[in-house]
Amino acid sequence: MDYKELILLILLLPTIGAAGGFLIGLNDEKKRDIFNIIITGINFIIVSYLFIPLSSHTGMEVFIPNIMGVGLDLKIDMLRYVFIWITSFIWFLATVYSSQYLINYINRNRYYAFFMLTLGATLGVFMSENIINLSTFFEIMSFTSYVLIIHDQDRYAHDAGISYLAMAIAGSFILLMGLFLAYDYTGAITLAQLKSSFQSLGPEKYIIAVLMLIGFGVKASAFPLHVWLPKAHPAAPSPASAVLSGILIKTGIFGILMVSTFIFTSDLKISYLLTTIGLINMFLGGFLAMFQRNIKTIFAYSSMSQAGYILLGIGLVGLLKYEGSTAMYGVLFHIFNHAIFKVLLFFIAGLIYMVLHELSINIIRGFGKHTKVLKIVFIIAMCAITGVPGFSGYIGKTIIHHSLSEAAHMNGGIYFTIAEIVFTISSAFTVAYLTKVFVSVFLHESDDYKEPTIQEKVKSPIYHMSLRALIPLIALSLMILLTGLFPYKFMGAFQTAMGKIGYGLKFNGHLFDIHSILSSLFTIVLGLIIYIFFIRRLLVKEIAGEKEYINPTNSWFSIERDFYKPIFKNIYHGLFKVFHFIDHGLITGAENAGNFFNNILLKEVKMDFYGEYQEARADEHKTIAEIIGYVKLVFNSMVYSLYIFAIILALTLLFIMSYK
Amino acid sequence: MENLYILVPIVFPFIIAFMVLLRSFDTRVLRNIMVVTLVLCNFFLVLLLGKFQGQELFLMSFNENINLFLKVDKFAIFFATMASFLWSIATVYSTKYMEHEGREKAFFFFYMTTLGITMGIALSGSLFTLYMFYELLTLSTYPLVIHSRTDAALSSGIKYLVYSFIGATFIITGMILLYQYTNTLDFSPMGIFGENLSADIEKKKLMAIYVLLFLGFGVKAALAPFHAWLPNAMVAPTPVSALLHAVAVVKSGIFGLVRISYFIFTPVLISVIEADVFINILIGITILMGSILALHHDNLKKRLAYSTISQLGYIILGISLLNHNAFIGGMLHLINHAFIKIVLFFCAGSIYLASGKTKISEIRGIGRKMPVTMICFAIASFSLVGIPPTNGFVSKWYLALGGLEGNKLLFVIILLISAFLTAAYLLPIVVTAFLPAKEMDHNLEEFKDVKESPFPMIYSIVLLTIIVLILGIFPNPIISFIDEIASNIIWR
Repeated sequence: MDYKELILLILLLPTIGAAGGFLIGLNDEKKRDIFNIIITGINFIIVSYLFIPLSSHTGMEVFIPNIMGVGLDLKIDMLRYVFIWITSFIWFLATVYSSQYLINYINRNRYYAFFMLTLGATLGVFMSENIINLSTFFEIMSFTSYVLIIHDQDRYAHDAGISYLAMAIAGSFILLMGLFLAYDYTGAITLAQLKSSFQSLGPEKYIIAVLMLIGFGVKASAFPLHVWLPKAHPAAPSPASAVLSGILIKTGIFGILMVSTFIFTSDLKISYLLTTIGLINMFLGGFLAMFQRNIKTIFAYSSMSQAGYILLGIGLVGLLKYEGSTAMYGVLFHIFNHAIFKVLLFFIAGLIYMVLHELSINIIRGFGKHTKVLKIVFIIAMCAITGVPGFSGYIGKTIIHHSLSEAAHMNGGIYFTIAEIVFTISSAFTVAYLTKVFVSVFLHESDDYKEPTIQEKVKSPIYHMSLRALIPLIALSLMILLTGLFPYKFMGAFQTAMGKIGYGLKFNGHLFDIHSILSSLFTIVLGLIIYIFFIRRLLVKEIAGEKEYINPTNSWFSIERDFYKPIFKNIYHGLFKVFHFIDHGLITGAENAGNFFNNILLKEVKMDFYGEYQEARADEHKTIAEIIGYVKLVFNSMVYSLYIFAIILALTLLFIMSYK
Repeated sequence: MENLYILVPIVFPFIIAFMVLLRSFDTRVLRNIMVVTLVLCNFFLVLLLGKFQGQELFLMSFNENINLFLKVDKFAIFFATMASFLWSIATVYSTKYMEHEGREKAFFFFYMTTLGITMGIALSGSLFTLYMFYELLTLSTYPLVIHSRTDAALSSGIKYLVYSFIGATFIITGMILLYQYTNTLDFSPMGIFGENLSADIEKKKLMAIYVLLFLGFGVKAALAPFHAWLPNAMVAPTPVSALLHAVAVVKSGIFGLVRISYFIFTPVLISVIEADVFINILIGITILMGSILALHHDNLKKRLAYSTISQLGYIILGISLLNHNAFIGGMLHLINHAFIKIVLFFCAGSIYLASGKTKISEIRGIGRKMPVTMICFAIASFSLVGIPPTNGFVSKWYLALGGLEGNKLLFVIILLISAFLTAAYLLPIVVTAFLPAKEMDHNLEEFKDVKESPFPMIYSIVLLTIIVLILGIFPNPIISFIDEIASNIIWR
């Protein structure tokens, strides 16, 4: 059977959903919601169905010539499939969730249209084999998600949106620069061609690699290109934040994986670069997350930190060379799991926002004390992200940790000792900031949120929250438990996936051995210690009789505010002055020259050539202009006759010449 | 004398022009229909030119070497087709737009004569003929620039004339000097210098000639530092500025540049005499200056004008890099920019007509009232930035490849920086129109009576936007056409 139509359908369905949903939504919003859920549902079913043919095929490719000059080249293999499946799965749940979440919002129609378009573009990124297609989908995704980010249209959202858009566009142009260079040197237009022709390139391939990594790094929020993320993710409506944090980061990761592991087949220099950036990301993201008060900002920083784990893993794949398969399992597991538990966390934050319209920890604390379902779901998500054994996050983190130890064992040196320490501390940070959220939202006893009576339960929206908002949460929790408890079920698919990029060894480590479990528990204890002695002690201040969380980082050094913005402002102003001068240079020059001559002409000189009248007019001075006027008067008739003569001469000449 | 047909696309617009001037029409609608149909006819007449490819028509000769003659070659067809097509769409737009500007008779008269002259430029067979039409172009567009007869218009008109004549002086000086060497001014795809060049002695002089001619045509192509007339000419009515920018004037300058660089001189000769070095500096300045100054202006049309300067820099860059890919990129951008800019200007005109607003800060939230116009504006903006899958991306791709082929990495970087700046000055317009910040909703009150523009205007905008989209997704036919032109004049 031919699967080409199905692959195209996956890409087209979201676009159809966007257009159709928009038109339906003009008349009936309920029908539109159902329509969108059906479209994403069908999309998810098709994607899931593709697993069957995929396990027998090596890969499926669709090529449509002439589109954009080079043709549309789509490919699905197992590696891409991991990304595609998780995308369509999360999107389906997010659409279900949105239909409930957005009830109080304006411009819902616009939201859904761009939500669906973003889905299409994201799937396109994961499917495109051609570098031009890849950057096309990448750009479309950036712009459609921009509309989601500024959905609220308030000042905060616009501010975040500008940061996001500026960085996304700059990133994509840097990526484009890398693609230009790559194409110029190799003439390769598909990723596979790039891979085969890159081996023979000299040192210029590192320039190309760095340019491409910067381009993808913006989306993956790699340090120091992360500045947009903590602003943009909280600004969007919760389901959009969820997919931004859960999926869109993965497009950057996907690109980096392609560049570093697939095209460069694990170059050592690039691997060290990625490992370092990954460590910085983990540490910085986790560290800053502890200070935040807005729970969505906490989760956003947490995404940055988790992206760091994945980048570290990708770096380790290269460092371990032949043993890289193990690290690769960790990378894929963490990509998969992070999408699920981060989306779950944002959904929970969204539920809180739906009821209270507030996200600051100082205001919402105590809210969850009596909401049982929400509390259980949050505990599951928290156990997953902190890496409690038996939950999904544990798998990825443990494998990456194993690989790190192995790399340390292989290479040795101070670098890996520091890496080990950073890894443990960052994991402890994760525990600390989530404990902060959990304790203040779900354990804190607050007068505002007493245990409700039966009457109140009926009235209060949180207790008869519609199934549409709760089902996605429960589905995601089940998914977490499934991956956490039966990780070996996924190994087969992941093994095929890794085979695509040159790593296909069977996983031969142990996941639930006593050592790993102990190290995980150690991290958790360390995290609790940080929570008690750092967050409770230093970040809680008594303000007006209330214990409030404070955020001292607001006044700290900010890369965006204190580094990027001043630099660009100064460059802009400098260039503006230069170009403004050039712009007006010619005109001002001409004006000045004119004034200069004017001044000369207006200079008064003593007249001498009046001869005999000189005595009579001895005191009379004339300007040069008047003198010229006089001279002109004298010569006027002569000039005129000359003019006539010249014209006749010219005409005669023309006549003679043309009839020669 | 079947090749007399070549004269038809040039003379026909003049006939329309005099008909508009001399005949009194019963109603405005009747006249509009007549004008639009006739301009469309002219487009089809131009299409028929393809049959006469390679034929020449002598009009007059001053001596055995300086001839006034017309010639149809691929490049002429390329330019003439584009210009006459955009002209017909712009005519549709102006039939409605000019109603409020008044003096329609005079407008249409000069509008049509300009069309005829532009066709003349396209079909010129020698530098001398090109120069004649080029001067006529200045004269016929001048009344259009000063159409409103306000003080501002008159003073910009003077600037326009002065700059144009400075350019003309350069051209004529260059032409005289050139004639000394070659004894002919006829265009030839091989260049007109032939093999009889003892390069060493004449290097500097030839360079001077080339630079003089380049700057001469560069004035109309808004090459810095001779660009200042262009933002000033923005006082003209919108269809005029659209055409000035997109097709007639600036693109005639570009056309002249191509003619002198590839049909008088040859890429090989130019790189031997090293004339491209000076010009490349000017081009770099033009590109960056245009986009940075555009960022500074709040007046929509002014911003678009500076943007034109920067985009023209791309096209000139494509010409001056002297290689195959760059030439394709430049010519693609010639077309793409023409279509995109005309859409942007038409949208600006529609906004002005509907709401009376000219400043970007005043059009917050107008996207709700004029969705179709602003969606077209958004698409055109994305295209100009060069975001795939739009047509601007395709031309940028070829330009960048050409830049890398010529080992000029700096230009590729300038190209991308300028693309970023393009995004910075165009996208905020789209954002303010569609997604205004909540705190500033007061403008919506003002736009209570604003409606989508009338049919002819919206029709031309939408049609052009669709073409922009098609050009982006299926650029291959045009690329292969330009490829044929390029392989005739550039040998690798």
